Amino acid sequence: MSKRHATVLAVWLSAALVAAAPVSSTSWWSPGQGTPLPEYATYQNDQGELGVLNTSGSLDTKGHPFFEPIGTNGRACVTCHQPSDAMSLSVRSIRERWTATGGKDPLFAGVDGMNCPNLPPDDPRSHSQLLERGLFRVALPWPPQRPDGSRIDPEFSIEVVRDPNRCNTDPTYGLNSANPTISVFRRPRPVANTKYTTHQNFGVGPFIGKNGMPSSIDPETGKPTSMNLMSDARAATLAIQADDAARNHLQTAAKLSTSQVARITEFERQVYIAQVARRDAGSLVEPDGPPAFGPRNLAADDAGVLGNNTTRYVFPLAGKWTHLPRTSDDTVNARNVSRESIARGHDVFMFRTFWIKDSMHLNSVGLGNPVKRTCATCHGMHMTGMDTANGWMDIGTTNLPWATEVPLNPWTEAKPQMPLFRVTCKPGVRPHPFLGRVIYTQDPGRGLISGLCNDVGTIVMEQFRGLAARAPYFSNGSAATLRELVDFYDRRYNIGYSELEKQDLVNFLGAL
Amino acid sequence: MHARHVISGSALLLAAPLLFGAGIPLGAEGARKNFVSCPIVRDTASVPCWLTEYEGELYFLTIQSDVTSPVTPPWLGHRVLVEGTVSAEPRICGGIVLKPVHLSVMPELDASCNTMLPAEERYNLTFEPPRPPGPSKGRLAFDNTPPPAARKADALPSTKEFVVPYDFDALVGFNHARVLTEILEFARAVNAHDIEIAGFRGAVRLSNGQVLSEEVDMGKRRAEQLAALLQGAGLKSPSYNIISRDESAKATGVDDYALRRANIMVR
Repeated sequence: MSKRHATVLAVWLSAALVAAAPVSSTSWWSPGQGTPLPEYATYQNDQGELGVLNTSGSLDTKGHPFFEPIGTNGRACVTCHQPSDAMSLSVRSIRERWTATGGKDPLFAGVDGMNCPNLPPDDPRSHSQLLERGLFRVALPWPPQRPDGSRIDPEFSIEVVRDPNRCNTDPTYGLNSANPTISVFRRPRPVANTKYTTHQNFGVGPFIGKNGMPSSIDPETGKPTSMNLMSDARAATLAIQADDAARNHLQTAAKLSTSQVARITEFERQVYIAQVARRDAGSLVEPDGPPAFGPRNLAADDAGVLGNNTTRYVFPLAGKWTHLPRTSDDTVNARNVSRESIARGHDVFMFRTFWIKDSMHLNSVGLGNPVKRTCATCHGMHMTGMDTANGWMDIGTTNLPWATEVPLNPWTEAKPQMPLFRVTCKPGVRPHPFLGRVIYTQDPGRGLISGLCNDVGTIVMEQFRGLAARAPYFSNGSAATLRELVDFYDRRYNIGYSELEKQDLVNFLGAL
Repeated sequence: MHARHVISGSALLLAAPLLFGAGIPLGAEGARKNFVSCPIVRDTASVPCWLTEYEGELYFLTIQSDVTSPVTPPWLGHRVLVEGTVSAEPRICGGIVLKPVHLSVMPELDASCNTMLPAEERYNLTFEPPRPPGPSKGRLAFDNTPPPAARKADALPSTKEFVVPYDFDALVGFNHARVLTEILEFARAVNAHDIEIAGFRGAVRLSNGQVLSEEVDMGKRRAEQLAALLQGAGLKSPSYNIISRDESAKATGVDDYALRRANIMVR
């Protein structure tokens, strides 16, 4: 680790308690704490308030496998899927836990809470990916394996170019170990609003609409799945994901029991999260307010509906906040100004065209390259902004040249923290249409599962809900704030947003 | 069935395209134009036009639409194989309209294909495109509703042949999910016991007389991939008979796109 990163860690460690002051850390849910999860709860965050709705009513968490430390390392599912963090986990909460426990919380377990399990456990530098970007280590076999364990002959070879965490070159955990493994670093996704992430509606069929390959099948129903659950789509269903997570993150000694899986997935199917208030705009869920906002609207609406149109909309605001009156009350006026900004941000998201270029599984699926469209073109699922169809794309968050890299020069000691891989498409395989035969990537994404050259660096897009509660953003945490997220798109696609457009878009995203 | 046909008549014929530039050369209507060139994208006040140049003439290929469009736009960064027929329609965005037209994105990158032209008022489309550049009005651009649910087995023929079309030198892509689904559903409905897949290698006779042939083993690769995909989708019980054929010598410059295909007999 460089001096700069050690300094960064030291600074936030000393400042963490102060910085955390506006938001209570008592919202942390410890494994096995046994308190009930109410039917409806709200949690403060930097931008306002998040709502968590359990449509099945108050949940007794005592003995519940989502909330109990059912593995060997003291973690529960809830450790990384905190209600206050939109059923995901913010880097802010991670840092608070480090400060509160001196790094002893099970959250920091060596299996994936460290940059590599062979590092000294009590040293914050061993956990720099988690502490700085909220990233957990995801160890995947190479070559890829099918669900039945058989090996896939990949279309590409892979080499480790840069290994700052020393895990991919480690003789025990690395690519050349007895069990060849590739370690990538990713954010945990929200375990909520799952009727949208697992829908069986528009765009789901036996063959993937983006490349014609067979879709993953739900082994219980025999039906194809939307493959939108995880960043690399490796788990077809909530049940498979639960078991995968239990083994790899909770270090359970055996597979989950049928009863445990049923209780976990039953909980996950009925919990909804969304922002319900913003500090500047006030309540987002007033009666007769915009129907896009709040967990109750999410729970009530239809899943898997294409919203990139003017009949259903991705996030329907129903024109509620487009033009609001000015009164003699400055407080009301300030609130209305903020609400109008949210409405404008929606219009930027929905209607502001730009040229989308060289994005795999977007420009390659019949739209042409480039295509003049809007944010809602890709983020088209009604109420979530996900892709209705199998949603992995490469927008450049992990593939060079667009991925965020540390600028190296003689005047800085900053060193890259993300691994870097060189992927070479084999002879006889069509080159990647936008990156060619040799691709440099921080995370091969879906390519590590499918073995397909065109999938290298593709990441399943995530739902847009509860964003204010769970920074940082993108699968590799490369955008610390929503503004950085917007700036990435502006840079990537040469959009040329005005400052007002950026602010409005940030306000809109933060209201979801 | 051909994944890439012509632009729907409802999309463009019913409209009144803006006339611009020279008319169609006398006697050119119906002429076949097969060539490889760089695509050009021209912005308009609504959706972009896709054009290309060949032998000093500008041709209109398609407008931007959505994934349901029977003709989908090419890609900058790649050359495009154009197999088209000169239409009598007025020029669109300054280009002679090729209709029908088949477009194949060539696999290798070509950085010289990078021409983006700005919008000019004289090139605005005077018709409403079937799909705006942003959100639609609640429908997809073209009627691409799924095929009707498979009838009961006793109401179906016992055998059925499917034709799977391909872009030049290409295997299965985004535009094959529909026909693969039809094959899968039919095979399941009739409890198929035998699937014969013939993969074809084709060629194109270009307008300059050159013959552009697909990779030598393309027929075999197509057949093998289709079998693997159907099996991967769960169709494992039928026996698969895989053959490959080379029809590259049949290229005449007329409808050569039809040579690039696979025939699948399900029984």
